[in-house]
Amino acid sequence: MLTKLAMTGFQKRWRDYLVLFSGLIMSSAIFYMFEALATNKAFLKQNTSISMVGMIFQFGSVLLTIITLVYIGYANSFLLSMRKRDYGLFMLVGARKGKIGQLIWLETLLVGITATIIGIALGSLLTMGLSQVLINSLGLTLHHLAAWYFPAALTTLLLYVGLFIIAGFFNLIALTKTPALKLLHSNDQPNRPKLKPVRQLVEVIIGLLSISIGYWSMANLDKLQLAGIGIALVTIVLGTYLLFNAIFVWLIVLLKRLPFANRGLNGFTLSQLSFRIRNYTKILAIVAMLFALALGAITVGMGFHRQVPLMANGTSAYDMGIVNTTSQQQAQIKALKPTTETTYHFKIGKKAVYYRASEFNAQPFATMSPVGKTQLKFKLKRLDAQKLTKSYERYQFGQLQGSAQQQLATTMVSEQQYQSLTQPEQRLTVFVTKDVVANQAALKKLAASQQKRDHALQGQVLGGRYSGYQMVNGMYSGLEFMGFFLGIAFLAMLASCLMFKILSGAAADQHRYVMLAKIGTRTSELNNALRKEIAVLFILPGIVGVVHVLFGLKMFSFIMIGSPYTGIWLPFLIFAGLYLIYYLITVQIYRRIVLQ
Amino acid sequence: MSTTPIMTVTDLHKTYGKAGSKQYEALKGINFNVNAGEFVGIMGASGSGKTTLLNMLATLDQPTSGEVTINQQPITHLKGNRLADFRAKEIGFIFQDFNLLETMTAYENIALPLTLQNTAAKKIKPAVEAVASHLGIAEFLNNYPNELSGGQKQRVAAARALINEPAMLFGDEPTGALDSKSARELLDLFTTINREQAVSILLVTHDPFSASYCQRILFIKDGKIGQELNRADLSRQDFYQQILDTLGTFEQ
Ligand SMILES: Nc1ncnc2c1ncn2[C@@H]1O[C@H](COP(=O)(O)OP(=O)(O)O)[C@@H](O)[C@H]1O
Ligand SMILES: [Mg+2]
Repeated sequence: MLTKLAMTGFQKRWRDYLVLFSGLIMSSAIFYMFEALATNKAFLKQNTSISMVGMIFQFGSVLLTIITLVYIGYANSFLLSMRKRDYGLFMLVGARKGKIGQLIWLETLLVGITATIIGIALGSLLTMGLSQVLINSLGLTLHHLAAWYFPAALTTLLLYVGLFIIAGFFNLIALTKTPALKLLHSNDQPNRPKLKPVRQLVEVIIGLLSISIGYWSMANLDKLQLAGIGIALVTIVLGTYLLFNAIFVWLIVLLKRLPFANRGLNGFTLSQLSFRIRNYTKILAIVAMLFALALGAITVGMGFHRQVPLMANGTSAYDMGIVNTTSQQQAQIKALKPTTETTYHFKIGKKAVYYRASEFNAQPFATMSPVGKTQLKFKLKRLDAQKLTKSYERYQFGQLQGSAQQQLATTMVSEQQYQSLTQPEQRLTVFVTKDVVANQAALKKLAASQQKRDHALQGQVLGGRYSGYQMVNGMYSGLEFMGFFLGIAFLAMLASCLMFKILSGAAADQHRYVMLAKIGTRTSELNNALRKEIAVLFILPGIVGVVHVLFGLKMFSFIMIGSPYTGIWLPFLIFAGLYLIYYLITVQIYRRIVLQ
Repeated sequence: MSTTPIMTVTDLHKTYGKAGSKQYEALKGINFNVNAGEFVGIMGASGSGKTTLLNMLATLDQPTSGEVTINQQPITHLKGNRLADFRAKEIGFIFQDFNLLETMTAYENIALPLTLQNTAAKKIKPAVEAVASHLGIAEFLNNYPNELSGGQKQRVAAARALINEPAMLFGDEPTGALDSKSARELLDLFTTINREQAVSILLVTHDPFSASYCQRILFIKDGKIGQELNRADLSRQDFYQQILDTLGTFEQ
């Protein structure tokens, strides 16, 4: 009987359950996506040369767990508020508390486990899709990436089920300890926005202080090492929360006093916001944090992407070297429109390869040599025969030769000595194009044709910028991928957090919008009001998130060529676009709920 | 008293349910007029179609057929912005469950119709204060609805309905959720507003006591108007007795 009653409640509220389910499914899918990378040791080892990345992932894991905790807390209170009335009614008609407790517990767990399992399945699909898209569009090479990774699935399931068991007990206590009548009439009460100047001032000061500590430790990561990331995470989350808490109330009370509040539905929108203020400060702080992490990850990912050709350009001053070019290869090189093309002649002796010094004096060989402490900047040097033999960078010349020559010493000889050698003369052609990345397809063909003629010439034995690019790309692909992947995962998490929070209040808002329509508010004005209200909730954490990112990027200055800030408008723009789409979707769903 | 009708209702029908599915005819041809400045009551048992009728008259729902005019303007086919503007300017509502926005203070609730029309801020404050002091709620203006009693809430709702000086005021069982003292106060208030500001009032109720404040009562039964009572020069007590007698025969 009671089970039947519970089921009818379920049917009546399928729309609310849909919001609840989709929120939970998204959350567990994203958690799985993250864990699929974070717990995959082989993938991390293979794809990152920087040991800190593994640590960053562990911190990310902890952070995501905390967020999940809060998220499930919200989901659960949503579920609870949805069922309160129904269960209150059951109690009034005389159902036993024990029986009801059982039902609540079962329902919570059932909802949780179903959503988690679907979420994990969705998560592995998303992992597969997203990694394919990223690999194809960024030209990445990745190894050991598995969309289905059992340890990740297990971690996700255990965490979520554990949390739902706790939530179930919480619901059991909350519902059975409350008198039936109170359950029936538990409605949202407005909390009068209060100004407590002293307390809020203290909040602002502590908030600013802890955010400054966070920014400082991110800027000094080279000294603080791992502890710096931990400090930054804690202080920035705390500071953001305190600032939101203090400033949000002020802002609305202030805005309400302006003439602006007397225009159209502005006053209504402000009241809506202040009505929710306390509920929203927590979620806004979290969203600001997620926003910063997502935007930061994408920016860093893009930074690495930009990094690859820069690093590759530092490996050699020439794209490729080819011994004894065929006429076909000659034509291929010509088609690439090289900015420099030089041919050196040589003869191979028993122990050495002999080059004519005069040729090098007439056409100096260019090398790239690192400068500065970080060794991340390069200078072009042109070396004649004598300088080249003494230079540390002479290996850059050696690598451009064929596989046989690379085994032997390079010797510069005079014109006379060269003529006296009886071996046949051979040619080494070196060239450089404008852009190794843009020309990579043609360069690949050229390299393949040469590797066919010289079988020992494989992989890194093939010197020059082209193989340098391939090496660096392989090295950074993992980092790039993680940046984009995490950025998108965090963004999805953020959006579903915010969307969920906003939509869970929509049912309560519905009667207010109906009421406004009854007293003669135009539909266009209602639309504007809800657009504004949701926009505020999206923009506030967005601004704070951007500020966090701008400071946070400093962390990466010691592993990047140049400033991590160059060209950040692009990831910011992409991110803003994605964020806007989420905003529009939220408005659309919300509108459908409140305006029918 | 003027005899030009402020509202005319002609052959109004309402059928719930789509063609083909289970249908229920709630209104079966309603005809009557309300004169400017009149205080008219509509009485009937629960389920007789009172709310349905009021919703048609107050533009909250569309009739299946028939015509309603308010201030010579046909209203049954109003849509979109014209409908919204008509509601905002020409009519006011008071509902049984108050329908106040609990996120806003009494002041903000009352001012809402004015801010919606972008009335100058300078004019809003005196207007709200005037209507509030008239209705005896001046001291509660900064309270939120959950800090007010039922009677106070209903007076705030009345203030919101009146601030635009509507041609017609509609009430659907406005005393339904009030104790008898608050109900009496609200009804006295309606009488005063009706007399002093010449606002036409249409009150829907199933309660004879509330109905006794009206000048004319239409009895509705099974979707039709069955009988009409005029108060004329009777005292309220005598009119009340007459209503009770009428109900005794009418409801059988
Ligand atoms: N939206 C609706 N759909 C179907 N039937 C309705 C609807 N609203 C009211 N009714 C029916 O119309 C009749 C009149 O209802 P209503 O006007 O609310 O009565 P009253 O207000 O006099 O109590 C009732 O039998 C009711 O069941
Ligand atoms: Mg009714």
